[in-house]
Amino acid sequence: MAEKIDLQEIEVWDGNYAAAQALRQAQIDVVAAYPITPSTPIVEGYASFMADGYIDGEFVMVESEHAAMSGCVGAAAAGGRVATATSSQGFALMVEVLYQASGMRLPIVLNVANRALAAPLNVRGDHSDMYLGRDSGWVQMDAFNAQEVYDMNLCAFRIGEHPDVRLPVMVHQDGFLTSHTAQNVRPLSDDDAYKFIGVFQPVEEMLDFSRPVTHGAQTEEDWHFEHKARQHKALMDARPVIESVFAEFEKVSGRKYKRVESYMTEDAEVIIVALGSTVESARLAAQQLRDEEGIKAGVVGPRVIRPFPFDAIRDALENCKAIGAMDRSCPGGALGMLFNEVSAAVYATAKRPLVTNYIYGLGGRDLSIVDIKAIFRELKANADAGKITTQIQQFVGLRGPKLGFFETREGK
Amino acid sequence: MAITSVKNLKEFSTVNERFEGAHLLCPGCAHSMIVRELMNCSDDNLVISTNTGCLEVSTAVYPYTSWDTSWIHIGFENAATAAAGAEAMYKARKRKGTLKNPDAPVKFVAFGGDGSTYDIGFQWLSGAVERGHNFTYICLDNENYANTGGQRSSSTPIGASTTTAPAGRVSYGEKRNKKDMMAIMAANGASYVAQVAPNKWKNMAQAFQKALSIDGPCYINALSACTTEWKFDPKDTINVSDLATDSLVFPLYEIIDGTELNITYRPKNILPVKDYLAAQGRFKHLFKPENAHVLEEWQKRVDAKWEYLQRREEARV
Amino acid sequence: MSNVLSNEKRGMRELGAEKKVGWDEVTHGVVLHSFEDDATDVAMRKAEDRNYSEFNSYTATVASWRVVKPVYNRDICIDCQNCWVWCPDSSIISRDKQILGIDYDHCKGCGVCVEVCPTNPKSLLMFGEAISSDDAIAQWPVKEKKEK
Repeated sequence: MAEKIDLQEIEVWDGNYAAAQALRQAQIDVVAAYPITPSTPIVEGYASFMADGYIDGEFVMVESEHAAMSGCVGAAAAGGRVATATSSQGFALMVEVLYQASGMRLPIVLNVANRALAAPLNVRGDHSDMYLGRDSGWVQMDAFNAQEVYDMNLCAFRIGEHPDVRLPVMVHQDGFLTSHTAQNVRPLSDDDAYKFIGVFQPVEEMLDFSRPVTHGAQTEEDWHFEHKARQHKALMDARPVIESVFAEFEKVSGRKYKRVESYMTEDAEVIIVALGSTVESARLAAQQLRDEEGIKAGVVGPRVIRPFPFDAIRDALENCKAIGAMDRSCPGGALGMLFNEVSAAVYATAKRPLVTNYIYGLGGRDLSIVDIKAIFRELKANADAGKITTQIQQFVGLRGPKLGFFETREGK
Repeated sequence: MAITSVKNLKEFSTVNERFEGAHLLCPGCAHSMIVRELMNCSDDNLVISTNTGCLEVSTAVYPYTSWDTSWIHIGFENAATAAAGAEAMYKARKRKGTLKNPDAPVKFVAFGGDGSTYDIGFQWLSGAVERGHNFTYICLDNENYANTGGQRSSSTPIGASTTTAPAGRVSYGEKRNKKDMMAIMAANGASYVAQVAPNKWKNMAQAFQKALSIDGPCYINALSACTTEWKFDPKDTINVSDLATDSLVFPLYEIIDGTELNITYRPKNILPVKDYLAAQGRFKHLFKPENAHVLEEWQKRVDAKWEYLQRREEARV
Repeated sequence: MSNVLSNEKRGMRELGAEKKVGWDEVTHGVVLHSFEDDATDVAMRKAEDRNYSEFNSYTATVASWRVVKPVYNRDICIDCQNCWVWCPDSSIISRDKQILGIDYDHCKGCGVCVEVCPTNPKSLLMFGEAISSDDAIAQWPVKEKKEK
């Protein structure tokens, strides 16, 4: 029986260690993992817990990230609680298996410390790895700080293992900015955390010898569409489950989470939509602008990016005048993912706010409060003019001549 | 472990089969002979993983499965890791006391073709063996990517014509010699490796039973003569396999703990390599006068390998 | 037909002839079950005593793959089990060390069984698909004289 740890009411943990502690408390059966910056300390923290007798399950240090996710899939199909962690290149290497895991409807928790994708090689934080996995069929949640990394991990197990969901779940956090920044974290006790997560209930387990099961069958053109549709529906229908898990979590922790986190949006004229630690910077910028310049600024941070909260994002944004969708990933010849998805959500509204796209912070490039306030002022100019006054897509915080693409047609 | 008797074929035939018909494998396919025999060797619960390939694609196409035991396919490379993950889950749950049938014996077996074993899944197999998982990996070696129409793999022997290294006006086909997976797996730390062929059913069954009974990673290289890509009549699968083992093109031997090598089959009459090559369409171009040197090279290499095996067996290293 | 040669579930439908249900009825996670009931001791049970699920390929037939078929001659057979061990399609039915016959639902007509049969004349021979067993046996060749 694994030993418990008596945690303090307030611990000082960085995002990585918060994840490792949450994984420890979840009493995972198999962790199959591989190290990669900046998620490595999650795996190292877990290994340290193993070595000190705090973990009952198996810990398999595999030979690549693809093998890490493959081992997780094999273990999950055998029937038990499974988790791992990775970033960037490792995430890219396991992408094939991400699709396999979700198609096979296997609950697995994956911590991603978001880091840029090569080339060029970069170990710092941006969201390119997160964006790479967006169509992989996983429930995906974003933590903006270390406390949320811990909380989202506990919720992830509940959501993924819920009988109406049975899907793998990612918990994203900013590489270095969150993963390596120590903050105050209020954990649950080992008992309370495990009680919240609950005992794993196997479904279609290979180790139930009374019911041999075949996992991973092939489906040709006669059957594939129906299976994928069913899978998509399960992911879309995860929304009410996520809300109910968040509601339960609020009861045990006092912390309330929503699929879309809105700050000062009720009367906001201009809103920034962002992910990760940028949400917190944007909140500070919005508050300062309200105090100093009377700009009614607000911030929206999607907590759950998959299933995309089309409904909740629309609710949060439809009454403002100008939106800046901030994407921390190189858009690869298109407008950014948040821009595209937010635009789609507000397009199906009566007021159709203006939306522009800001590409920022690639490879760990810092974005200051000053920079964000400048963005809010551009949004204010758009709102006042009633049309987009800048290029639709702009790179911010970039050295060199101004880089942007596409102009609005007259009108909106 | 519940072992079925392989004393003789009559005893063996009393087992209850767990590999069902109406799969999609070609008529005469040796994969099925090998898989049937593995599943018949033990009455234990089996958890079987399979790489993408002929076996997988022919035995689990929705809505049918030919497997009477739990089975998993993830992708092309990772059957070894799937088995490793399942094995780790078994260990964890046994320790925690959460297994439904904690005393029921179970064996973890992974199948892969030569494409997924020698090539694309090599790292995954190497990792699982190095970590010492308790499982048996069986390579169904038909010396090409048969499922996708016969492309070369690193198991394709010299002179074979495949679709990506075909024999043509200026080429005699495959230029490289077959990779030695037995030596590699022995060096990789497999507790037991064995080269087997379905025509020697008893030898193969004994190797399977040995592997299943060993607590550690075991690797079996099984000759799977492919009627479709080697180009011989489906009825001749066992005949061609006999030529392979009796010409020593495919010698049957085992290596225990990487050091103890035992030859497990010594043909009464050693046939010339030419006889084996002549039985298959994929080698027929080698009988043109300009390719005579390839035939010579073939016989030389087979002789050298046999010499090596005998010396190592004698030296007990 | 005696019971051991046919379980009523065997070869019930052609591959591809199953009902094409909608997305709401396909199996969860593409998982397939092999049996309908508790299969804990399935390794101890013969095919005719198993409760195969509709998803088990046992319930399908590939008889249409054949152009020629093997016919089994009980009078000549010595029950060596060569044909049983080497049949790629689990289509030689053997019980209590005796060959009972061919599972024509699953036999693809590959001819391996004929090749590996050691008797002279062989106890299995290939014939055209349409011929009846009785007619085939009536045409059975006599012992082949070996050339000296």
